[in-house]
Amino acid sequence: MKLLIIVTVMISAVILQIIGLSLFVFGFFPVKPALSGVSGPESFYSDDGGDSDSVANHTQTSLPPHLLKSLYQELSGIHPSFDRLILMVIDGLPAEFVLGKDGLPPREDFREAMPYTQALLSNGMAIGYHAKAAPPTVTMPRLKAMVSGAIGGFLDVAFNFNTQAMLDDNLLGQFFRIGWKMVMLGDETWLKLFPGLFTRHDGVSSFYVKDTVQVDQNVSRHLESELNRDDWNLLILHYLGLDHVGHIGGRNSILMTPKLKEMDEVVKMIHLSTIQTRDNDQGKTLLVVVSDHGMTENGNHGGSSYEETDSLALFVGLKSDHSDYAASPCNSIYQVDIAPTLALLFDVPIPKNNVGVVISEAFDLLTDDKQLRVLELNSWQLLRLIQAQLPGLSCRNLPSHNGFTDGLASTIVECSGSMEKMLCCLYMNAVNLHSSWKSKSLSRSKSRDDYSCTVAAYHQFLKTASEWLSRRVTDKPVGLLAFGIVTMAVSSLTLLGLMICMSTEDQPGENQRLCNSITGMHRWSVNEIFLLGVMLILVMSMASSSMVEEEQYIWHFVLSTSYVLFLRKAVQPLASGSAKSLFKLMKGQTERHDIRISSIILLLISGRILRGWHQGGVNWTYLPDISKWLEQAGVNHVRSIQLASGLLVISLSMCALYLFGSRRKITRLFGLCFLICGLLVLWHLYHNNAFVSTSYDAAIQTQIIYAILGIATIGTFVALPWFIPLWFPGTCSELNVKSTSVTFDGQCIFSLVEFRDSSYLIGLAYIICWCLLQLLLQQPINSMPILLLLVQIFSSMLYFSCSGLQHIEVEVALLYYMGMTGHFALGNSNTLATIDVAGAFIGLSSHSMFLSGILMFIITYASPMLFLLSMLMYISVKCTSYLANHQDVDLGHLAKMILGFPCLVPVGLNSILLTSYTIVLVLMRNHLFVWSVFSPKYLYVCAATVCVYAGVFIVAATEIYTCWVLALRRTKQISIR
Amino acid sequence: MADQSKKEEEEEKENPSKSISVPQAFLVHLISGLVLAISLWVAHNLYSINLVSHSSITLRLIWIVESATVILIYSRFRIDPQQCSYLKAVVRGILALPVGALVNALGAIALGAPVGIQYLPKTINWSLLMSSFTVAPAASVFGLSWTYWQRIFAQTKPNGPLEYMICIPAHGAVIGGWFGAWPMPLDWERPWQEWPVCVTYGAMTGYLVGMIVSSGFVLANGRRQRLKED
Repeated sequence: MKLLIIVTVMISAVILQIIGLSLFVFGFFPVKPALSGVSGPESFYSDDGGDSDSVANHTQTSLPPHLLKSLYQELSGIHPSFDRLILMVIDGLPAEFVLGKDGLPPREDFREAMPYTQALLSNGMAIGYHAKAAPPTVTMPRLKAMVSGAIGGFLDVAFNFNTQAMLDDNLLGQFFRIGWKMVMLGDETWLKLFPGLFTRHDGVSSFYVKDTVQVDQNVSRHLESELNRDDWNLLILHYLGLDHVGHIGGRNSILMTPKLKEMDEVVKMIHLSTIQTRDNDQGKTLLVVVSDHGMTENGNHGGSSYEETDSLALFVGLKSDHSDYAASPCNSIYQVDIAPTLALLFDVPIPKNNVGVVISEAFDLLTDDKQLRVLELNSWQLLRLIQAQLPGLSCRNLPSHNGFTDGLASTIVECSGSMEKMLCCLYMNAVNLHSSWKSKSLSRSKSRDDYSCTVAAYHQFLKTASEWLSRRVTDKPVGLLAFGIVTMAVSSLTLLGLMICMSTEDQPGENQRLCNSITGMHRWSVNEIFLLGVMLILVMSMASSSMVEEEQYIWHFVLSTSYVLFLRKAVQPLASGSAKSLFKLMKGQTERHDIRISSIILLLISGRILRGWHQGGVNWTYLPDISKWLEQAGVNHVRSIQLASGLLVISLSMCALYLFGSRRKITRLFGLCFLICGLLVLWHLYHNNAFVSTSYDAAIQTQIIYAILGIATIGTFVALPWFIPLWFPGTCSELNVKSTSVTFDGQCIFSLVEFRDSSYLIGLAYIICWCLLQLLLQQPINSMPILLLLVQIFSSMLYFSCSGLQHIEVEVALLYYMGMTGHFALGNSNTLATIDVAGAFIGLSSHSMFLSGILMFIITYASPMLFLLSMLMYISVKCTSYLANHQDVDLGHLAKMILGFPCLVPVGLNSILLTSYTIVLVLMRNHLFVWSVFSPKYLYVCAATVCVYAGVFIVAATEIYTCWVLALRRTKQISIR
Repeated sequence: MADQSKKEEEEEKENPSKSISVPQAFLVHLISGLVLAISLWVAHNLYSINLVSHSSITLRLIWIVESATVILIYSRFRIDPQQCSYLKAVVRGILALPVGALVNALGAIALGAPVGIQYLPKTINWSLLMSSFTVAPAASVFGLSWTYWQRIFAQTKPNGPLEYMICIPAHGAVIGGWFGAWPMPLDWERPWQEWPVCVTYGAMTGYLVGMIVSSGFVLANGRRQRLKED
């Protein structure tokens, strides 16, 4: 195969992959244009009116809570009759248990278990709904949906991974703003979502699923005293027991009936006390009983089946006790409808990103104009959200119908056409009907007919708009996803094919063929099969959520196994050279075996220490590890270890330089330069405790170090190829000594020697710079792992320098695996919680999202990048082997083998992982842990892809630049001679 | 040089095939498998302990019985009966047991076995068991003859029934133990996920499977020999 074809195919495959990945990501994680900020008084005005701006400007933030509250009451014009709200969340209760299904009553035993609730329902004192929840049916997103009315995407979870606190506009925030006092008893998820909002709280953990009794008693024990107090406006009760019962025994568990009885007792107690308080004129209390999600027959939840999404919404106390019997049929609503209903019932603005529709039965007691006002407010809010999603949509642009006169016939327009036009048209219909109703009511000629027409028009708009909006959030564009996956699959298959082609094609060099026939023609050695198998194991393990959580075990296990296999391989050839044939072997060869064996043992030891450094993962983090042990030992120990490893990093890299040969001026200059850099970093570490130093000086110092490191590295990259001495046949004998073990006869291979030298030096410069940067940025505890990774790089280079040219792709794959393992050894995991955010602000004097993002990336992907940069050194090492084995250089062959694989293999392996994980993610889209486990892992995979691209790009760019400069200089030199 | 090595190989091939017959091989495997099963049974029923509850003690019981059996049996088939008495073979088997245990323990720790005082007895007993699966029989048979060791353990190229019988179950035990380690990090919260319970189960399963496979190889080898002789 021609070199040019390979390069073209590879680049086009990479471009294809990038296209596919971005299509998939935008399809799977829709970035909905959510409105930021919170709703204020302006939400009570229509957008059409000009007066909204002026009101919004001077009232937005300045008003104290009680004034804001009265302003809201005045503006909304609804004047509801409730003062207090009790929100009782029963985790995992399917609405079917209370309301029945398909018009049938619930099961006999369940109905008997909840006598009080059933009585409330049949008396018409409570209205119950099947509130359809959106997947993922897991507690936290459902709670968010209930209080904000919005269906969250994944990326807004990912983007504020720092905090779990809910930042979007929501009911509790609105209540807090009008000065409500809030009390929370139950699941501590609420405390994570709304830190600091509750005046009193008692959180229980949902961690011990086996506990079904204590977890609810801890909530109920405060209930009586709280009900007797009148210093709160909102009381949240979150009972977890029923969910736990479901997890243990499923829907038909014997514990279910007692648990329902217990819940019924709670409802009874609250309701009786609310009647009492109302009689005492302490204000009317509304009790809302909701469940966050349902459960399957087995008691699981998370998916999107009817059983799981069938959650309950029960409003107790909405109607007067004397209302007509059987007025409330069991209706079906959406879970998000709870938020706008509660907002308008308590006179606060509807949260900005709400997609829900008010439940009209909740306002039945109000007069007609107030009910229409409720619908109007909801319509305005939804319209604003639609306008945010479809910028440029303006309903006033539509051909106006002359609807302000009279007559229904002129105002109602048949709505059709595109979705945008349709929504607009429906909205205008409702608005026109409403205004004509208003004008009629002024002239006292209103009729019941007009009213119901208007309500119907509003409902039509609200329903259409809500459905359209929620579909925008949850629906995944199937075509886009499929196209993205197919593109990625094609690209990774291309890369795989290219890899296989190259490795089969390049083998039959004459030397190799000879070797193969001696060793018995088994080209597929155990190591190769194993390293291929590793890919298979990784791909398979990705489908299991526990394996994704504990991925570091797989990497460590697999990597150390491959070390053992390499050790076995290193021992093999000695078999022929046993004690008696020792004399026959050259002494150098046995030395080589010693080097190989000892370097692998070094790899094994350092790998084991790296594994023990951080426990990592999710489930076993509490187990002891070296980092915890050191942190217990004290800060001083950690600091001395940090300094020692810094010193060792510098001396190791100087050793590597010395091995290369220190006689020439350029090498000395290079060494001096990086020695100064290293000492500077050490000095900085010595004088500044990493986290204490937030001062301006420290930031300046760090910036200076960044600059010096950058200049040194880029300077090396740019200048070195120009100044490295060219090597001519005449000077051949002198220069023979300069490198480690190049002994070859006669023929001087021109540019390869210089190429090898310069890529060695540039690679070393990259590695040193990267390590020093990491010493600066990483937590002090991680400096030792950085040193160990450097040791791993050098010892693997030592091993590869003796291993010949047979299995370059295997060795590159091993380097890639080492990089990925090191990623976990530095304490990273597949949850977003382990990202070192504090480090991302080192040396930044002003807050910059972009720069700290880059620093965060550098910290997180320290190890994969380090090993990718070490590819330059690997190339140089392989050049040495090539020089030793080949008399003449076939440049095309060399480029394919030595330059092609270090670029192709990481990209290829990564593309396989990426593609297979994308498919896994699509298959798991309804899994319980899709948002907590699989999606964060996908972000990591995407970031790893970016890292591989960046690393490979640097390697390729450096090589191409070096080749170009060397060729240029050689032609010049020749022309001068 | 190539000729010489070929000659050596031929000699080696002829040597062990004389030393053990097919029924003998079956018997050896049968006995070592049965002893393993009996020791587990004894531990479970007579002392009412098992690997999960008392992993150290159970492992100790198993390795003592198993290593004694294996060393005593395999010493009969030593490759150099002229220079080496039966007793000497037994002694070198016993000496090799702790050495092999050290290698196994280091290997396990390198692959990620937990390090710590509370794990030490478990690791020691487990590695002694592994040693009696892998190193002890080889030591009894081959002694210090380095060529054999490397051919069997580094290159995995056994020839002749005796080498099959040592090589395949030993590799089976190691590979089985390797696969046995996979469930350890999972969050199933089962007691057998502890080190070294599931690794031991894996190793024993691998050892038994290895013995069955090696019996098959021995049988095939015997048939081929007979055909050749015909």
